Amino acid sequence: MEKQSGYTWKLGMFVTIGLLLFIMAVYFIGKQQNLFGSTFHITSQFKTVSGLEVGNNVRFSGINVGTVEQIQLKNDSTVRVVLVMKEEVRKFIKTDATASIGSDGLMGDKVLTISPGAKSKKEIEENGQIASVDGIEMYDIMKSVKKSVDNIGVISDEIAIFSHSMNNGNGALARLVKDDKMANSVSNTLSNLETGTKGFSENMEAAKSNFLFRGYFKKKEKEKKEKQEERKEKQEEAKKEKQEKQEAKQQKQDEQKQEEQKQEEAKKSETKN
Amino acid sequence: MILDIKNTFAEIGETTIFAKRFFKEVFIPPYETREFLKQCYVIGYKSLPLVAITGFIMGLVLTLQSRPTLVKFGAESWLPGMVALSLIREIAPVITALICAGKISSGIGAELGSMKVTEQIDAMEVSAINPYNYLVVTRVLACTLMVPILVFFADAIGIIGGYVGINIHGDVNFYRFLTQIVQSLEYLDLLPATLKTFFFGFFIGIIGCFKGFNASNGTESVGRAANSAVVTASLSIFIIDMVAVQITDLFF
Repeated sequence: MEKQSGYTWKLGMFVTIGLLLFIMAVYFIGKQQNLFGSTFHITSQFKTVSGLEVGNNVRFSGINVGTVEQIQLKNDSTVRVVLVMKEEVRKFIKTDATASIGSDGLMGDKVLTISPGAKSKKEIEENGQIASVDGIEMYDIMKSVKKSVDNIGVISDEIAIFSHSMNNGNGALARLVKDDKMANSVSNTLSNLETGTKGFSENMEAAKSNFLFRGYFKKKEKEKKEKQEERKEKQEEAKKEKQEKQEAKQQKQDEQKQEEQKQEEAKKSETKN
Repeated sequence: MILDIKNTFAEIGETTIFAKRFFKEVFIPPYETREFLKQCYVIGYKSLPLVAITGFIMGLVLTLQSRPTLVKFGAESWLPGMVALSLIREIAPVITALICAGKISSGIGAELGSMKVTEQIDAMEVSAINPYNYLVVTRVLACTLMVPILVFFADAIGIIGGYVGINIHGDVNFYRFLTQIVQSLEYLDLLPATLKTFFFGFFIGIIGCFKGFNASNGTESVGRAANSAVVTASLSIFIIDMVAVQITDLFF
């Protein structure tokens, strides 16, 4: 009898610990699926559940508060999803909360997220229904991506036409960029303008000296003449200045366009990447 | 060739009859409780160190081996769940059953074989003790009940091995590790795997007993009984495993 009790307690311990391990496993897995403890149910209706499965997690403010218990087709465009949630979060979920289906990471499971509403202060009831928000489907993302890619295609076509006309056209911009004659005439204009202003200041000097040496009676005439002269000069100057300004403007535009072109190209290469 | 096939089928048939006799006798008194407990002790408790070491190593090695692949996908955080899943679903039951086939089945085969050869079984029959009830029923029953418990131990120790394996490369809190495991498990992973271990245990016991009980006369037949018990039990474990996994797959 003593010999028997020598091994029976070991056997008893062995069996007890083994069964305890099993029961612990059963308990923790069950707890994970909210099988124990008090729970409540809520439902929501979706157009599509995008691969949500029974047993997926339900999150509220990023915390796992329950699981998906049931998914059933109600009619051809409505899916009814039943969620089982921990009783302790019930007081936080109001009647105007919304449910949406998202993805847990890039490759992860689907997750049903409950977002709090704004106005309602009434707690949700057992088997209460909450509104659903359609999540973003991969299809939608692809659609919008396609749209922007199409736009980029149009833009790049236009850039190609623009640069072609820049290189081969006869417009002012193209000539400014490539034509030597044009460049020469621009620089000539500039030098003319310079000499013009020089002459004008000399004339001014001369007028001043004239005014000092000649008598008062001649003053008015002289003044008139001077003024006329001045006006002439001014007119000339204005013309030249105008031209100059135009040149400068064109140059600026040209630079801007080139810059734009560069940016577009950079964008294009980015999207390609 | 044909004779070989015929012999194989004959043996399968004899084993079936042998097993049928077990189900008949298991309900018939007298119940050999003391012998049953002793066999439980020998089969369960005495195999624990072996199973524990194997389980630990399997968990450790499985973690280290599956790590590179998961790292490639950047899914390192799935490692605990994956290791626990494969341990509980497949590796712990099969490895434990194979270890038991090697240790228990051969032990029973050799023990009963030598009893048969030395005519102890005949002596029992003469002295009005049902040798089947006393020797076979207790052993098979003990096997059937102890192997699942050994598998629970192997599961738990394998998971600890996995924890050690993960902590070789990274640093994961034990509580977080357990949470990840529990998150990835369902009853569907645990229950079919547990159910099939009962079958493993039953077949380990019944094959060991059958080989020992039917040993022919002569000392070398004891060795042959032990040997063929291990081989047949191991093979049958794989076959049962295949069937069990397919049935599980079919229904769930």
